[in-house]
Amino acid sequence: MTARERTNRKKIKDKDFELIQAINSGQFDRFPDLVKRYEHKLYNFGLRMCRDAADAEDTVQETFLNVFKYLKDFRYETKFKNWLYRLAASTCIKKRRKSKFAPERELSLDEFLPQDQAEIPDQVPRWALMPLDKLLNDELLDKINAAIFSLPEKYRLVIVLRDIEGFSTAETAQILNLSDANVKVRLHRARLFLRDKLKGYFENE
Amino acid sequence: MNKDEHEHEHCLELFEKLSEYLDNELDEVTCKDIEKHIKECVPCFVCLQTLKRTVDLCKQSESKPVPKDFSKKLKKIIQEMPKSPPA
Repeated sequence: MTARERTNRKKIKDKDFELIQAINSGQFDRFPDLVKRYEHKLYNFGLRMCRDAADAEDTVQETFLNVFKYLKDFRYETKFKNWLYRLAASTCIKKRRKSKFAPERELSLDEFLPQDQAEIPDQVPRWALMPLDKLLNDELLDKINAAIFSLPEKYRLVIVLRDIEGFSTAETAQILNLSDANVKVRLHRARLFLRDKLKGYFENE
Repeated sequence: MNKDEHEHEHCLELFEKLSEYLDNELDEVTCKDIEKHIKECVPCFVCLQTLKRTVDLCKQSESKPVPKDFSKKLKKIIQEMPKSPPA
């Protein structure tokens, strides 16, 4: 893309547009407003990705330092929130590479298929039929969080962005620098993985 | 379709697309194909329902408040940052 094409490209005016413009025009005292707007969301994203509070705090801190450093280069070609999560996701991925976790395992579709005839369901289980508010309780919420934590990181990133943070497939692909098809594949496997964990939990209840 | 007839190519083909179906990301023809299939195939219907419930539950995942000490620390770091970003 040429510099001229870049200049002529339509700017995305989202809810953060004015604030970003103010900061980039020299009103640095508005930066805390940006932090206030996103610290809660980023902290929870960090918690879901890093597993512990100290690492989540580091993620938030590093992300905002990077925002401060690179905000002047932000071209409004995407929503600010998408750009912010791109920085946060990249911080999480780098953090993991520095840690001593074992290599990530791949999830294959085959592992989510019934292994024998006895496993093929013949009726919808109660947990999938009950009203959601009757089903939810603290123990189940803990189980859901634990199941999300147990996903390999590359699948967890996608499901957290899509199903918890509410980004679209295209936005998630942009944040993670993946193709739309790749996001869809990872999301489906992540959901199947969580479904199996939940199924196990309800069967043993 | 009964349980014994479930080892079915078409089931496997649709199984791969169930998340896209739930997300309304499929074309009309494929959607209709899935809808027709799940009316006749109990295992696939169960699979779709449990997957849908999983997504609903995942969306309920609770968020935690930012620890007050960390919020204060972050505020302090920001206050101490230079008044203009690095060149």
